Amino acid sequence: MHRFIVFVSWLFGLLLVGLSLFVTLETVMRKIFGASLQGADELGGYVLAVSGALAFTIALSERAHIRIDLLYTRFSPTVQAALSWLASLSLALFGLFVARYIWLVIHDTLTYNSTAPTAWSTPLIYPQAIWYGAMLIFTLASLWMFGRASRLFFTGQFDRLNAEFHPKTAQEELAEELSDMERR
Amino acid sequence: ETRALKVLGQPGATGEIQKNKEAPFFQNFAEKTGLDVTANFQTLDQTGVKGAEELRILKSGLFDIISLRLQQVSRDSPVIMGLDLVGLNTDYQNGRETMAEFGPVVDENLQKNFNTKLLGLWPFGPQVLFCNKEITGLSDLSGVKIRTDDQTLSKFIESIGAIPVQMGFSEVYQSLARGVVDCAITGPSSANASDWPEVTTHILPLSYRFAVQGYGMNLNTWNSFSAEEQQKIQAAFDELIDEIWTYSEELYVDAMNCNVGKTPCELNKPFELTEVPVSDEDLAVVSEGLMNVSFPAWAQVCDASTEGCSQSWMDTVGARVAK
Amino acid sequence: MVGITTIAISFLIMIFIMLLGIPIASVMLVMGVIGGVLAFGWPLLDSTGPVMWSVMNDNLLTAIPLFILLGELMLRSGMADKMYGATALWLNRLPGGLLHTNIGCCAMFAATSGSSVATAATIGTVATPSLNERGYDKAQSLGSIAAGGTLGILIPPSVNLLIYGSLAETSIGQLFVAGILPGLLLVAFFMIWIIINNWNDTSSQIAEVPLSEKLRASTALIPPAIIFLVVMGSIYLGIATPTESAALGVATALVIVGIGGHFSIEFFGRCFIQTARTTGMVLLIVMAAFVLNVTLSLTGVAQTTTNWVTSLGLTATQLLLVLIVFYVLLGMFMDVLSMMVLTIPIAVPVVTAMGIDPVWFGIFIIIMCELGMITPPVGMNLYVVHGVRQDDGPFMDLIRGAFPYVIIMILFVLLLIWFPGIVTWLPRTMYN
Ligand code: NA
Ligand code: NA
Repeated sequence: MHRFIVFVSWLFGLLLVGLSLFVTLETVMRKIFGASLQGADELGGYVLAVSGALAFTIALSERAHIRIDLLYTRFSPTVQAALSWLASLSLALFGLFVARYIWLVIHDTLTYNSTAPTAWSTPLIYPQAIWYGAMLIFTLASLWMFGRASRLFFTGQFDRLNAEFHPKTAQEELAEELSDMERR
Repeated sequence: ETRALKVLGQPGATGEIQKNKEAPFFQNFAEKTGLDVTANFQTLDQTGVKGAEELRILKSGLFDIISLRLQQVSRDSPVIMGLDLVGLNTDYQNGRETMAEFGPVVDENLQKNFNTKLLGLWPFGPQVLFCNKEITGLSDLSGVKIRTDDQTLSKFIESIGAIPVQMGFSEVYQSLARGVVDCAITGPSSANASDWPEVTTHILPLSYRFAVQGYGMNLNTWNSFSAEEQQKIQAAFDELIDEIWTYSEELYVDAMNCNVGKTPCELNKPFELTEVPVSDEDLAVVSEGLMNVSFPAWAQVCDASTEGCSQSWMDTVGARVAK
Repeated sequence: MVGITTIAISFLIMIFIMLLGIPIASVMLVMGVIGGVLAFGWPLLDSTGPVMWSVMNDNLLTAIPLFILLGELMLRSGMADKMYGATALWLNRLPGGLLHTNIGCCAMFAATSGSSVATAATIGTVATPSLNERGYDKAQSLGSIAAGGTLGILIPPSVNLLIYGSLAETSIGQLFVAGILPGLLLVAFFMIWIIINNWNDTSSQIAEVPLSEKLRASTALIPPAIIFLVVMGSIYLGIATPTESAALGVATALVIVGIGGHFSIEFFGRCFIQTARTTGMVLLIVMAAFVLNVTLSLTGVAQTTTNWVTSLGLTATQLLLVLIVFYVLLGMFMDVLSMMVLTIPIAVPVVTAMGIDPVWFGIFIIIMCELGMITPPVGMNLYVVHGVRQDDGPFMDLIRGAFPYVIIMILFVLLLIWFPGIVTWLPRTMYN
């Protein structure tokens, strides 16, 4: 899982770096030479769709999707476990929702042969299919994590569940920042 | 019990037509149609829905009526752009003719593919050229940067030797002021409302297209009305559409006057642009552009998605304009 | 149309579920789906696909990951760490000494980044040894870091302003430019407060450092200055859209980081994964907010609320005063991002109906969010700075230390209500 996340985050980062360089080139050329490469806008939209979808998975595996822990920390371990299980259920439902309803978008795009009315006249199915693929990774990851949470919950391993699934606290965020500072 | 239809309109800040015709029509929907039906009217920007998605959303039944932004929804249904090819609608008279000729073809396509009944077509009006440099006609545009937001228009701009630059409407004012682009195309009234005359010097009132919009109703909703009710609804829309065409022309004439400092100027703000006279050569360039550039490019896309698309255009509009 | 009671109850239920620790994004999606299906049946769901595509295909929002990446590149190349010493040389001799450095350094870091956690953590860690060594009052020094860290979302570039602009359909360029002057003024007010509070302070009577040495150390301040000029200059001059300026910023940061000799697989790996986490967290909430927004607008929540507020007969100023109380209360318990996406779709139509400028209101909301970061019990910056202190002092130090800044921010917002031009003047000059 860790190596997969590293791979996905590089994919994510290189997409953004590549886009930045392309847009910089476009902007500088437009300003200095008055020539326009065209399509930087369009590319930016597709990069956001794909990289954003990849980022959902990374945020999921890093427990970065915001949960407020104000009341949570005051509950007994059993209640905490139940809430963490519910949280992971809700993310799995989110994943399934996305998979189900984006499929309709793909289906319509195929049916209508939709083409972006833009500089590149991109057949929309290309960017949307990649986007959907990235979203399905999120769906699978959310189901996988829900499976894990359920197994721990229904076998009564509440402490383990809480250790793995509790909301990330400010202390943890900080610990990560501090360990990073020591390296530089 | 009073029935409430869910209506999605043009974005709130689109201008006078939205404000003075569309919104009041739906706010007084029961009175206009004579039916016990009201409209729950939302503007596009209030909902956060993007224009390009309108046909898919209308099909889903989430809204009963949508004021369709045709250029954007043509993504899903290229047939639509046959209504407003670059160089096709050069004045209000032939604009209305085009709608009458090709509207039924679009309606049939929307009913079949998007479960949508087309209730009417109306224009923002002639889209003309504003420049921040001296020009005397289209021949001066070689190498000039012109803002566009649309592929068909880009092709036409390239065909006259100019450089198309794609950007959103909200960036145009600054871009004209800073020389990022030299010229831009829009309706005189919306240019006036966005203060373009502050950052431009010349206007060439040659219409490239009409920025046509349309009202679509979900077909299930339409079929839930009796034939008599359908007639009343259609009659109400026909009246609205007719009013908008007239109003659009009034706005156009007034805005043209205001932009160049002529009177009467009552609906827009006065400015002092130089009006470049439209020559016969320039008119010829635009109408040649229709059959040599716009139509072939569109026909290719349209035939790929709908069989017989370009032929049905040739049979209707083409019979009048093709030479 | 739903009634105002239904709206209020739904809002409270939603906040309660969020407080239980269910992910914010899931709660918003579920509320949007349930509300929408109850009101309009299943067709609502078929339309969520196109809505999700339009949010995630919006080039405007591409600026979000780009600005986050920009901040990460600058932070993880060690820029902020070096800035501290350089800023200290200039601000040391003011009454209150290093406290000014805390504020100044946070402000400069804010000009390249939008992450307040990273800002507060970095500057807190760099600062606490010198602060302890020189015997500064705990509450004062910790409070200044927590408050300074909040500047990241007001001084552009700011991911929060981007999200406001996208939800409120307001120009991002204007919002960014509008944030500059209030940002600088707020820094000035923080510093004035420190001077007043430390008028008799003697710890700042340290030896003057030669100018040449000051200038040499100040090279550490050049990178953030360059980034700020590239990003804001290109927006202000109309050369670039906000997304383009973000891309220009990333490209410039890559050059700076490269010259600094930081290019390594490990460096990029860390930047990318951190950017991805934050982006994923933010975008999932934004996407869920847009789905919820369709339900809100179709059920007429904003209209009902507007009508209800109008019926109260408040003036614009009175309404804003009520909103200050509302946001202070909400900010005590909510995290900043959720607070924004939940209230903007409803509050903006209400205030614009009263004739309040949406750009001005964007800055207003951002300052209320800054407040939320330093008010207990849920205050991210308080937690973070409490975490970096090296003694085992009480959390109360933080609350006490941040309190004056809470008051300053509230007074500052009142000043903005009095003189809205502080916000609106600079963006208006963009066009002349
Ligand atoms: Na910032
Ligand atoms: Na708080």
